[in-house]
Amino acid sequence: MISFLSSTLLFLFQEGGAATSPAGTMWENVKHPDLSKFLVVGALLFIIGVAGVLTRRNIIVIFMSIELILNAANLNFIAMSRYLQATGSANDLAGQIFAVFVIVVAAAEAAIGLGIVIALYRNKETIWVDEIDLLKW
Amino acid sequence: MPLSSYESLFFWLFAIAAIFAGLLTVMARNAVHSALFLISSLVSVAALFVLSGAEFIAGVQILVYVGGVMVLFLFVIMLLNVGAEEEGREEIFNNQRQVTTSLIFCFLLVLGILYAVNTGSAVLLKDSQLSPEQVAEQQAVQNAGLKQSATGTSRITKDTQRVANSLYRYASLPFEIASILLLVAIVGSVMLARTLRQEASADDVDPETLKDESLHDPELLKFKTATE
Repeated sequence: MISFLSSTLLFLFQEGGAATSPAGTMWENVKHPDLSKFLVVGALLFIIGVAGVLTRRNIIVIFMSIELILNAANLNFIAMSRYLQATGSANDLAGQIFAVFVIVVAAAEAAIGLGIVIALYRNKETIWVDEIDLLKW
Repeated sequence: MPLSSYESLFFWLFAIAAIFAGLLTVMARNAVHSALFLISSLVSVAALFVLSGAEFIAGVQILVYVGGVMVLFLFVIMLLNVGAEEEGREEIFNNQRQVTTSLIFCFLLVLGILYAVNTGSAVLLKDSQLSPEQVAEQQAVQNAGLKQSATGTSRITKDTQRVANSLYRYASLPFEIASILLLVAIVGSVMLARTLRQEASADDVDPETLKDESLHDPELLKFKTATE
């Protein structure tokens, strides 16, 4: 388990395959971040968003965490689109197009969600999710 | 697709800024602070989009997210104005079970993602055998074909045209469906956020609600007597 962990952590900075000198490869990877660094940043943002959804009680902050999650997904799409451009695929901008649709859906979701929050506040006088348990059986 | 020398500086700058601002979004007590940190996180991610050559998406991100969605969020926060957390009366991470669950799931997600990137890297990194100097050379050749900007120091990207071409060629039907989705969202949010009085003026009140509420509200009472 620990060896797996350390290998994955090491991987972050030296995935170049046959590493000639570990320190040199690491510095090269810091100097020239590639696709995997974008993916890791997206994953970290996604995880932060998930933690926010799971821990916060304020429904508005939960919505903001969802925006963070969607944004992390967008970052992955854009990074993959850049990768496809480097490989010379036919529809190399598919990732960017998908990101546009994610932004559209996020905007619609925010409008509907905040409408629900306002209607909820008008009826229940609260925005704490642990006090909103009407559907709990 | 490794980034070239000075781009990597900006990559680390904005990546760390995005993650740090994201963390503060989740951890800030005040919802307004949360919203402001989320805005800085979104702007940093937009900068990462620019670094990956998606200038159009970066612009859309700032216009739609920061200019539209976050303003909506701030309006709702100001409108509801619930300040228990900011006064420090409410603990944020007080529910042990939720915090433990989220930590466990975060750990699993980190492991899963690292494993996936690790095993997939052999395929993903096939193209990045070019040295950074070669990549920079390729970019210079590509950029040479682009138009100069007015100041002459930079070039105008063709990203927007390429996205538009690709969008209408491969995704014109989803594009139209997205417009319908937005229309439904507008109508839905207007319907959801109506007050009782606005429902009354549109002659659309639930009779049950009318029975209870009209006794306290003279205007609704008037509406009720008019309908009877």
